[in-house]
Amino acid sequence: MSDRSEADRLRQESTLQRLLRRPEIGAFSVMVVIVVALAFASDFKAFNPLGLKNNIAIIAQYGIIATGAAALMIAGEFDLSIGSMIGFTGMIMAMVLKYGFTPLGIPPGLPVAAFMIAMTAALCLGWLIGTIVVRSGLSSFIVSLAFLFFLRGATEASFRIINQSTQISGLPDFKQESWFAEMLGGEVFGWIYDIWFTLGGNLNRKGEQWVSGFDARFLWWLVIAGAAWFVLSRTQIGNWIYATGDDKDAARANGVPVNKVKIGLFMFTAFCACMFAACQVFDTNTADAAKGNLLELFAIAIAVVGGTLMTGGFGSILGVAFGAITVGLVANAVFFIPWIDGSWFRVFVGTILLAAVFANERIRKRITGGI
Amino acid sequence: MAVPYLKVENLVKKFGPFTALNGVNLAVYPGEVHALLGDNGAGKSTLIKTLAGVHRPTSGQLYIEGKPVNFRSPRDATAAGIGTVYQDLALNQLMSVTRNFFMGRELKGPLGILRMAEMDRIAHDEMAKIGINFSDPTQAVGTMSGGQRQTLAIARAIYFGAKVLILDEPTSALGQKQQMEVLKTIQRVKKRGDIAIIFITHNEIHSQLVGDRFTFLALGEVIGAGKAGELSHDEIRRLMAGGTEMKDLAGELAAI
Repeated sequence: MSDRSEADRLRQESTLQRLLRRPEIGAFSVMVVIVVALAFASDFKAFNPLGLKNNIAIIAQYGIIATGAAALMIAGEFDLSIGSMIGFTGMIMAMVLKYGFTPLGIPPGLPVAAFMIAMTAALCLGWLIGTIVVRSGLSSFIVSLAFLFFLRGATEASFRIINQSTQISGLPDFKQESWFAEMLGGEVFGWIYDIWFTLGGNLNRKGEQWVSGFDARFLWWLVIAGAAWFVLSRTQIGNWIYATGDDKDAARANGVPVNKVKIGLFMFTAFCACMFAACQVFDTNTADAAKGNLLELFAIAIAVVGGTLMTGGFGSILGVAFGAITVGLVANAVFFIPWIDGSWFRVFVGTILLAAVFANERIRKRITGGI
Repeated sequence: MAVPYLKVENLVKKFGPFTALNGVNLAVYPGEVHALLGDNGAGKSTLIKTLAGVHRPTSGQLYIEGKPVNFRSPRDATAAGIGTVYQDLALNQLMSVTRNFFMGRELKGPLGILRMAEMDRIAHDEMAKIGINFSDPTQAVGTMSGGQRQTLAIARAIYFGAKVLILDEPTSALGQKQQMEVLKTIQRVKKRGDIAIIFITHNEIHSQLVGDRFTFLALGEVIGAGKAGELSHDEIRRLMAGGTEMKDLAGELAAI
């Protein structure tokens, strides 16, 4: 009895027990349920060659912006300007493609230049939002809400002034000639569908190969989420991000450059929004002032469903990927299950969001000794 | 006589019209615990913040190993070997022991990749050295006891080069048993012989258990100082109460 020490009070756990306590476990379980339910309810149409492609397209879209939102939330801040940033950067790209950019002497029809200009604008805006937040000490909720309105309004007004219409369509298909446009808006992982065809599946009605590849944004999602996972869990910057979100005063006292971390992450969410827009513009060769509307809220919801704490300091990029798969599949479910009303999607998102908040709060209390 | 690692001479700190410290002298020696005692508002916090480089003295001089120094920032003080463990400990609850231990000073390889296995081992060994019994450096700090957290913060300060360890009321806000753990930790650090400890406390019993020298502050001035053995219990108690006699206090209470 007298040999007992403080250390003995922490129960040693088996690998399985540890696995069950991982922050991703809730998001993972919900995802498995949704995948199985959707498979049966859609008579497996949701996972036939075209169904899989379409599902992954929307999952990747959600996944890209949710990764940015989650990384920023782990550092303790929000960005409500993601959706407007998608509209804004999409507009810039389409405009430069259609009209060129005279101040830099850029003629119309250059995908690389269009992308670079939009990305520069996005990173500058991300830096500006982050700088305002850390310098003023105001809540990022309010600062980024201001940019939600500002950027959406600027997008619509610019469209009307320069283009006389709030959308651009009928751009040439740049993917035909530009490898760069193909990289963002083309197809990837064609070999998966080729193998599927070779194995006797993936056939259309004429018996030819049906689907030739996934949308390129699938690859971009994997790259962005993979990089974010690596940085957060394996690097010094990752340690700084967690430290900043957990208790920024403690982090600062130990020499963590808290403000730089936050500004960098606001730039990262803007980067993610711009990648989202780039994939969309080069895929469809269109842009629209309403693109990205409300998506910031989906990004935050998915980050929370994936196990990210609203209060910062805790979260998992892997969990966010599970969350993106779950929400993406349910968003698309209406196309595969004809008898379902599409509006149930939001009911579902609201429900799992609330459940996730309670689950996350339990995890936080358990770690901080509340349970 | 040995050279004190840190010496404070005639330190004055004024905040506008308010004199927080009025000519304080202090000397701390390696391998000794210097107990700094005083009531709330005595100037203990201002003194340690000046030593830690947070405040700049209005007048007076600090010496490190006999050489005069000026700290312009906490970073300067840390570089000079002054490690301050504040009451809030500057720990992040949701993060692991190792990640807290190396927070802001991570060991990294190419691409900023953390050398996690090495960091885990160091965190474990450094804490074991000053006597904490814990098994898992990946456990979250939130799951540790108050005494364990205190030890983590102390081990961290020592590992990153503290020669003077300033402990700001490490035993307050802890239970009896935890307080003993912290005192044991202090004793083990003292035994190393190369680190000077400034132990700030309200508790005269704790100060007598580990203290080698004592300095009593009241209203910004040193009202008493001495070595262990030179001061009697009653004297310590009288100084602790800001220089009033116990029987006077009893008299005041009885008069109510």
